[in-house]
Amino acid sequence: MDKRLRKTLMALGPFGGLVFVFVFFAVLAPSEFVSFYNIKTIMTQSVIVGIAALGMTFVIISRGIDLSVGSQIALGTVVVAVILARGEGEPGLWLPVAGGMAGILICAFVGYVSAIFITRFNIVPFIVTLGTMQIARGVGKWIGMEQTVPAPENWLNNLMLIDPDPSWLLFAPGIWIALILMGISSVLLRHTIFGRYVFAIGSNEETARLCGVNVHRYKIIIYTLCGILTGIAAVMQFSSLTIGDPTSAIGLELDIIAAVVIGGGSLNGGEGSAVGSMIGAVLMAVLRNGCNMIGVPTFVQEIIIGAIIVGAVLVDQQRHKK
Amino acid sequence: MIPFRSSLLLCLLLVFFLASCTDNQPSDEADALQIAVIPKGTSHQFWKSIHAGANKAGSELGAEIIWQGPQKEDDRQMQIQVVQNFISRNVDAIVLAPLDARSLVKPVESAIGRGIPVVIIDSGLESDQISSFVATDNRLGGALAADHLSELLGGEGKIIVLRYQEGSASTTNREEGFLERIREIAPGIEIVVDNQYAGATIEKAFQVSQNLLNRFGDVDGIFCPNESSVQGMLRALQTAGKAGEIQLVGFDASESLIEGMRDGHIQGLVLQDPFFMAYQGVQTAVKVIKGETVEAQQNTRVKLVTPENIDSAESQELLSPDLETWLK
Repeated sequence: MDKRLRKTLMALGPFGGLVFVFVFFAVLAPSEFVSFYNIKTIMTQSVIVGIAALGMTFVIISRGIDLSVGSQIALGTVVVAVILARGEGEPGLWLPVAGGMAGILICAFVGYVSAIFITRFNIVPFIVTLGTMQIARGVGKWIGMEQTVPAPENWLNNLMLIDPDPSWLLFAPGIWIALILMGISSVLLRHTIFGRYVFAIGSNEETARLCGVNVHRYKIIIYTLCGILTGIAAVMQFSSLTIGDPTSAIGLELDIIAAVVIGGGSLNGGEGSAVGSMIGAVLMAVLRNGCNMIGVPTFVQEIIIGAIIVGAVLVDQQRHKK
Repeated sequence: MIPFRSSLLLCLLLVFFLASCTDNQPSDEADALQIAVIPKGTSHQFWKSIHAGANKAGSELGAEIIWQGPQKEDDRQMQIQVVQNFISRNVDAIVLAPLDARSLVKPVESAIGRGIPVVIIDSGLESDQISSFVATDNRLGGALAADHLSELLGGEGKIIVLRYQEGSASTTNREEGFLERIREIAPGIEIVVDNQYAGATIEKAFQVSQNLLNRFGDVDGIFCPNESSVQGMLRALQTAGKAGEIQLVGFDASESLIEGMRDGHIQGLVLQDPFFMAYQGVQTAVKVIKGETVEAQQNTRVKLVTPENIDSAESQELLSPDLETWLK
């Protein structure tokens, strides 16, 4: 009995965990928990961490880490807001596009700079990105002049509406964007040479190098790609806040890394999946939402999320022993 | 095998943990009003008073108070999510102290759009759809401080006004209230500087204060508009050996500020009443649910505490409110 239960649990992996947590709250929480509106709420709340976790998945599979993503998101929101605030009159269609692109580009640039230091000077990613984390946060406060940056009403603000406009979209545009990006990331990882190389570098960097993989070049691509996805998450963050906030997303990098780990990513490299990371992000949103629903105090939520992370790694280890 | 068992054990523990946490909800009062109260954070003394005041109103009016702060202190995104989750949960009303005047507008308006009235407390929200705004009258508080400082100085002398931070609405109102009143009642008082900002931390306030005191060492009085700026100025005065010589009037209280007052280093502190603010916020929410009309803006009291009246019953009620009774 125990064996069969274990087998099915293992096979399901993070998705099983998500179902378990959902059913758990569906039983305990008031009936509103399973309402369509609440499910839309949970999904919208997963978007920011989810998209950033897709980028982090590439980095973690290649046995790297990027601690600067939280600061990148804050910096991104400030850049978007500053550009929107520059325009006169109604922002129209194109100014928000320019703002969004600039936000994405600045995050990509932070990722690129981190990668240059990691590869050229051979410093471990943990230290480099610990540094770029501070730098990006500081630059964000600098550009924002140590304040939140207000922006005029514009269409970016509608990306994260729980009840989308137009309503035939059913879900917030941000959710659809996240799903499309998940599809692209998944294909990139599983069905392209680039994806193979990401796994190869993470499994054994030396072997990959000896097999003729230009490890440095691919690492630069990986961190820049992570920056691009983080930049898209920053646009979502801006959409949700409707202002540029250099103090936002403090500690969010830990949520993002946790999402990847819950989704089956291994900090030892060579493992992880885009779908898994997205499920990890949704799982944490379900936990927060469920805890709010049944009125659990804030500190209990933190303890539970911590326990889930350790639990996920435990289950993962078991899967490997087989 | 063992690790698997232990992870199963972990899950079971979690279940019990959660189950025990939900026990304190009164399930027998299924038809009681559910009012969500959302602070900016949960660990400061100020928010503990807010919590206690909300609980008191809840128990008097037979409403269930659901207290839920943002999971990360002062994180706007987390506060937005808490509001969204309460909309999903379909509570009867929300009482919110918004972390930001703009970014909370969308979630609040979507709550109102789904028929959940929202009462804003403590700091403002740029929306005209809210039921009511209950907060300290900060201008009046600033004016009280001006009256006191002018009295201490006999209507003449030089003073410093150390501002708190750009873009903070409540403290700006205190500063403006102070300046307006002092110009009105004491033309003999010269404001030597009023364009310097203390910043958000005590450390920064301390440095700015030191710089100001080095430059304007001959001032007679100082006004600071919040806890951290008073704290920084107090330390600067103490290290410069000028504490007690220069009259210091501030806003808000903490244990070390009270001690400063007892040592004769602070001559006046304007106090707010968070306990009553939350009480009135919840009371207003219940009135709105019952269809009664409420005032769009409600001010809660401010009181000047001085070394002379610090031990009076009213001062003590504000300085150490009865939290124990309402936060079991």
